[in-house]
Amino acid sequence: MNWSDILEFARGPFFYAALLFFIAGMLFRFTRIVLLGWGKDRVKSKGSKLGGVAKTYAKAILVWPFIPWVKNTFNRNPIIYIAGGLFHLGLFVVIFLGAAHMLVWKSLIGFGWPTLPLPIVDWLAAVAIIAMLILFVNRLINPVLKLISGPAEWLNLLVVFLPMVTGYMMTHHLFFQYEMLYSLHMLAVDALLIWIPLSRISHFMFYFFSRTIHGAQFGKRAVSP
Amino acid sequence: MTTTQTAINTFVHETGAWVASQLEACTRCGMCAEACHFYQATGNPEYAPVWKIELVRRAYEQRFTLGGKMRVAMGLDKPIRDEELGAWSKIVYEACTMCNKCALVCPMGIQLGPIIHNVRAGLSDAGLVPEDLKAAVQKQKEIGSPLGATDSVYDQRIEWVADEWEVDLPMDVQGADTLVVFSSIEVMKFPENIAAIAKILNKAGEKWTLSHKAREVVNFGFYEGNEELTKLFMKRVFDGARELGVKRILVTECGHAYDALRWTAANIMDVPDVEITHVAGYIWNLVGAGRIKLKQGALDDKGVITFHDACKIQRRGGHIDEPRELLKILAPNAFKEMTPNKEQAICCGGGGGVIAIKEADPQRYKVFEMKMEQANRIGAKTVAMFCSNCRLQFTDGVQKYNPPFKVAGMSQLVADALVE
Repeated sequence: MNWSDILEFARGPFFYAALLFFIAGMLFRFTRIVLLGWGKDRVKSKGSKLGGVAKTYAKAILVWPFIPWVKNTFNRNPIIYIAGGLFHLGLFVVIFLGAAHMLVWKSLIGFGWPTLPLPIVDWLAAVAIIAMLILFVNRLINPVLKLISGPAEWLNLLVVFLPMVTGYMMTHHLFFQYEMLYSLHMLAVDALLIWIPLSRISHFMFYFFSRTIHGAQFGKRAVSP
Repeated sequence: MTTTQTAINTFVHETGAWVASQLEACTRCGMCAEACHFYQATGNPEYAPVWKIELVRRAYEQRFTLGGKMRVAMGLDKPIRDEELGAWSKIVYEACTMCNKCALVCPMGIQLGPIIHNVRAGLSDAGLVPEDLKAAVQKQKEIGSPLGATDSVYDQRIEWVADEWEVDLPMDVQGADTLVVFSSIEVMKFPENIAAIAKILNKAGEKWTLSHKAREVVNFGFYEGNEELTKLFMKRVFDGARELGVKRILVTECGHAYDALRWTAANIMDVPDVEITHVAGYIWNLVGAGRIKLKQGALDDKGVITFHDACKIQRRGGHIDEPRELLKILAPNAFKEMTPNKEQAICCGGGGGVIAIKEADPQRYKVFEMKMEQANRIGAKTVAMFCSNCRLQFTDGVQKYNPPFKVAGMSQLVADALVE
């Protein structure tokens, strides 16, 4: 078996299997949570729940990512805000606005969209990789993170790091032959797709639960969320 | 049944989609630690809010999720063990005021405060409550007050307040509009508060009453996380309200009680169809409706005055603006905010039952030092507040550190500024 065979497998059957596992896994977790049951809130509101929800999303999407220092904990731990923010920014840009990835999306869902020029994407990918390294070091030395980090947390970082770094090396033809890097990138992506439903990387879905609850709880009390 | 199993059963019982979806959202980024005044004051990583909910997280994941079961099987996560539980009791009871500031910092917006309450519920059922708190809860169960206000002590105190401050304190008036329920902190330690609130209500021509049945608003069962006792203590208040046929229950200066009665009761028990409100909002309503008039600038010549936000009355209670409106009348020039303030304010350090537990003293004072520094930074001469639990903590702290400010109850300030 040579690298082309591995590549065929990793971007073919294995990729689709991993993708299916990812979708089924996330659907399972979504359903599982929703079916645990929601108690009816019989408490009379002082303010508006809906208003609170709207306000908290507006803040979370339009305010905090751009001017994080309005949060008064920013100064206490700026690393986690800046590195965490840049990591997510880089990740989103690479996955959705990188030309190569857009083509993958197009082949999966049937339509595409304009992408950003490669140098910008490339630069942000590098920023995201560096941010991940900083977050890794931060997790090693911050006393709270040391306490709460178990094997699952380290594995999360690794499983996200590998596709990023192999993808970057691939675009720049670094160190190894292209087919090998491409295979490793696809294997890493497949591993990530499988690991997401089993881990906390799934927070991108549950974010919408907790953010909505947050807005409703503060809105109900007429307090700014 | 082992204590661990009892605790786990409670966690499981309390874990609906509301809790589970939030536990799932946690990325374990640790940012919540930066919001916690106990962590800020001591630097102890175990005080990070995310660590305080660790027990519920493990119980939930290992019981409900395939990923969690798999991680335990692979040795990637630890099951809960009996010998560990006691350590968590010290963390969630002695270093948390349930103020929920962490929820504002969490990038996912998780309501950590209420989830920490669930942890307390589990520990309470497992019998792992700090001795001091347990004793106070028992006292409230048996004699109706955690501070030793028995029926006869209560009567004596009320009679004495009526005499001493020459105020009319209507008792058990059938058909009154408003049932006022004081906390025994006020009855025993701040009786002037009772006189102040009575003066304000009498001046406004409010048809109000006290009740023998509903004579204690404090809810130590809620501190403990013991749902049965929480309900029992609230039932006493509601029974009083039902018996007298009032339209509203006015909670006085007690934060946790307000959280329980206003924001929790309807979801865990039958509540009478009455308005439940807090004196912080109600006094402002009286001013707004023109039923009482306050002397403009009454406090302006007494140096800088600031307002301390109580976690359960302001951030968790919703009465953020009303006290400030009052202070803008009383001290339009002398009123100054501490930083941070309003929903972002940090706690006094004594809420959530912490002040009732002797072992919690070191971290309780450390938090107070932070609060004191905030007040000193703006040169405050008076720190006003609407919560007598905060006031207890402030009074105690002021005695220990002797800062240049004095502590005042808002009701008192308002009562003193009433225009005849």
